[in-house]
Amino acid sequence: MSEMVYVIVDETTYKAKEGSLLIDLLIKENIKVPYFCYHESLGADGNCRMCMVEIEGQKRPQIACDTLIKSGMKVRSKGENIQKVRTDILELELINHPVDCPICDQAGECSLQDFYMDYGLHNAKVTIADKVKHSKHVDLGSNVMLDQERCVLCARCTRFTDKITHTHELGIIGRGDDAKVSTMPGRKLSNPYAMNVVDLCPVGALTSKDFRFSQRVWFLQTANSICHGCAKGCNIYIDHNKIKYQDDVIYRFRPRRNDAVNGFFICDEGRLSYKELQENRQEEIILHDNIITEDEALEQIKNLIQEFKNNTIITIDANLYNEEIDAIVAFAKKIDAKVYSPLEIYMDEAFGDDMLKSSNRAANAKKIQNSNIRTETPAKTGLLINFNHPQKFEADETINFATHKGKQASLTLPVAVYSENSGTLTNEDGLIQTCQKAVFKNNPTPTIIEYLIRLSS
Amino acid sequence: MRECKIVSRKFDIKNSHTLEVARLHDGYRTLQKLQEYAPTEIIQIIKDANLRGKGGGGAGAGEKWELMPQNSDKLSFLAVNCDESEPGTFKDRQIITKDPHLLIEGILITCYAIKAHHAYIYIRGEYKQYQDILQFAINEAYEAGLLKECDITIHRGAGAYICGEKSALLESMEGKRGHPRLKPKQKEPEWFFGNPTLVNNVETIASVPFIVQNGADAYREYGTQKSPGTLLFAMSGHVEKPGVYEAEFGTSMMEYIKYYGGGIKNGKKLKALIPGGVSCGVLTAAECENLTLDYESLRGIGSSLGTGGMILMDEDTNMVEVLKNILEFYHEESCGQCTPCREGTGWSDKLVGKILEGNATKEDIDKLLDIANTMNGKTICVFAPAVSSVIVSFIKKFRDEFEDRV
Amino acid sequence: MSFVFSDENLLKIEELKKRYPSPEALCLPCLWMAQYQDGFIKLDAIDAISEQIGIAPMEIYRVVTFYTMFKLSPDEKLNVQVCKTLSCKLCGSDEILQHLKNKDVKITHVECLGSCGTAPVMQINDVNYENLTIEKVDTILEGLS
Repeated sequence: MSEMVYVIVDETTYKAKEGSLLIDLLIKENIKVPYFCYHESLGADGNCRMCMVEIEGQKRPQIACDTLIKSGMKVRSKGENIQKVRTDILELELINHPVDCPICDQAGECSLQDFYMDYGLHNAKVTIADKVKHSKHVDLGSNVMLDQERCVLCARCTRFTDKITHTHELGIIGRGDDAKVSTMPGRKLSNPYAMNVVDLCPVGALTSKDFRFSQRVWFLQTANSICHGCAKGCNIYIDHNKIKYQDDVIYRFRPRRNDAVNGFFICDEGRLSYKELQENRQEEIILHDNIITEDEALEQIKNLIQEFKNNTIITIDANLYNEEIDAIVAFAKKIDAKVYSPLEIYMDEAFGDDMLKSSNRAANAKKIQNSNIRTETPAKTGLLINFNHPQKFEADETINFATHKGKQASLTLPVAVYSENSGTLTNEDGLIQTCQKAVFKNNPTPTIIEYLIRLSS
Repeated sequence: MRECKIVSRKFDIKNSHTLEVARLHDGYRTLQKLQEYAPTEIIQIIKDANLRGKGGGGAGAGEKWELMPQNSDKLSFLAVNCDESEPGTFKDRQIITKDPHLLIEGILITCYAIKAHHAYIYIRGEYKQYQDILQFAINEAYEAGLLKECDITIHRGAGAYICGEKSALLESMEGKRGHPRLKPKQKEPEWFFGNPTLVNNVETIASVPFIVQNGADAYREYGTQKSPGTLLFAMSGHVEKPGVYEAEFGTSMMEYIKYYGGGIKNGKKLKALIPGGVSCGVLTAAECENLTLDYESLRGIGSSLGTGGMILMDEDTNMVEVLKNILEFYHEESCGQCTPCREGTGWSDKLVGKILEGNATKEDIDKLLDIANTMNGKTICVFAPAVSSVIVSFIKKFRDEFEDRV
Repeated sequence: MSFVFSDENLLKIEELKKRYPSPEALCLPCLWMAQYQDGFIKLDAIDAISEQIGIAPMEIYRVVTFYTMFKLSPDEKLNVQVCKTLSCKLCGSDEILQHLKNKDVKITHVECLGSCGTAPVMQINDVNYENLTIEKVDTILEGLS
């Protein structure tokens, strides 16, 4: 059992666990120290030498990522000496770095840029002709682009494929300043979590091919949300932007750290699932191939409910929010309809793995189970009101509340996807997590609850 | 200048590399002492003799041996460092080709002392010819039943100077790239697959039989108080008779050069000298006048003895070219793991190249010193500090030659 | 064509495995065996070694590119490795290099070969040729052709 001890950093006292890493304390207490190669999920590598701090009693500055907390330790992270060390090492990082900022996707979220503004601000002393040249825009596969010249050789990406995915595709080859990141000749980066290296890379060496040249990151707005790809409920950031005269568009998902759920990473499929939120959406209200207005649709629904009294079934998509499911269950009670949510269709054994991916593809299956909703397929019924469930059901008349095109029905109404609404989900471990509304469309699609309110009036 | 043949005693005997000849000249005689002494007593003898490591560092061998556990449930190993790649150094090669059985004898005693039963000899890839002679000797030793308590395996490197650094050597033996390891905070042995391992230079191990046979005092008869014993010093470059000649520590440098080396080639005058392999700061001829060949004397003048491989340069030598040549070596051999060394060696190489071509400015010379400062004390291993001290010494002592070219 | 270790090499590998606490230590010895077998290291060989010693192919590939003596493609001409480091340079390695440029060989500049006392020196197929003069170089090359 290691005990908590006191250490002093820049004349302020902090409590930390004896034997833990100094850099963890610095990060936790927001004491600004630059670093490239350290990452909490990958451990320390000690190769970038940027996180140097002065420790009383030690002649030379020490790297914080390799220093263990000892009781009474006195650390100095600011001051002229340590500033010079950082500036000098940063200068060396930059001498072979290409001046790509104008075309580099990482600009705005680049560690080199940030550290240069904090510790550099010097003029280049090496001409571009003298810089070491390597390969640029190499397609590694799995939507990852590599630019070897921009690399600072922090080895985060190689340690990721070594220690986290155990797939060993990436490595540093060569020696000295000819060292570069690569895959084996003819072999590609290929594992279900490959795109996480794009987030890990502190500079623009590894970038997303999917996001390439799409948007400058300082224009993006960020919302906290949860991926709906499976029952794991990995935490994500939704990055979106509304360009003038156009609509609010999602440009990418990024993983959001949650040590209780997904740690630092998300799977590639979940990362790219933003696309389906913006493609093939149901736009209009259709009744028997004709576009009608919302008032007409609501009228039609009320008539059908009346007509098929005691012969109505409601089906619910297991990806809807907790609040939506509760509202639908209440509505079902009011109109005396039975509620079903067949869960079999969401199971995909091939998808699940022992890392993050769950073989249950429904984001809110737990809520369905907790709410005592029937999970078997219902028999043929008179009226079926389907709230976005993917399965095809048998009924005389069907009303579909659908996010996407493609379902055959008498009456189809478009509903908002989860990014256009806020709510909570329950993941497979029973954790309730919140999604913020991210996208504010010019002509917003109504949410399910909005429809239900109008139907009740 | 008295003769001291602790390690090179059999070098001039014909077929000295064979077991038969080795035995004729007291080879393996010391193994009998292992019946008389316990392992810890052997370690004490080595400590009392103050045997200093001959791979370039000069650290006490006995203290290193003491770090090895005497009672461990893990296996202990010995790794003999024969990665001799320091420019100017070619002494270990003499031992393994001319008296390999002395090395084997030393290995057996060392393994007895540290309770190891397997020794690896890490030999550089370019020494294949000499590796064959060493392997022949090891086979002879196996056939004669000498290696019952301790196996010896030769592990061939593949061309990397950095693998001479002891932690990089073990990384290389573990099947990885030769990246030096982060240094531990407390004194502990090195680790080979998690097993405690002692890493010593070939000549250090080859010195062990003499010390154990004749005692610590006999060893201390040679050399100085702080640097006892002998070293296989070497000379190369602009010297009349280049080669390896064993001498005791404390010998006058100029006398050594005159006696064994025959002075500077073609009757010219000495201009500069690198004392112990290229990683030591350069000395001017004037500085060499009163120097003695031992660790203290050279540290006192701001350089280091290193491996004792002296490189002599005559009055017509262009010191800028020499520095460029040395920096090209470092640029090639940097492992690339940490930033200051990887980028610093490349950049300083290019800068000196520009100075040599006449394309540089005065600021570039100051920039060189600045880079040297960044590489000093901020890296994982001592490769970069060595580069740093070399650059500083050249510019300090021959600054006018550099400034002439800007 | 897929790489297979010769029977002799397979026996050596089995022997060596007994001498190390982990088969991973056989990385360098196996790479040497593969290089002597084919003249260079094929990617197939790396896969074969990976199976023998339990290190992922990329890890072995990283090791191959780290060391200067491993070749990933065959030499088309005789590979003459000339030492260019300080002692050899001071003793005239530049002239040897100039002279070799007129010959039909592949010249590789290598760093210190540990023959500083017998400079200048060149290494061809693991053998050192020392105390070189231009005449000696010619004689040696003739002997090897």
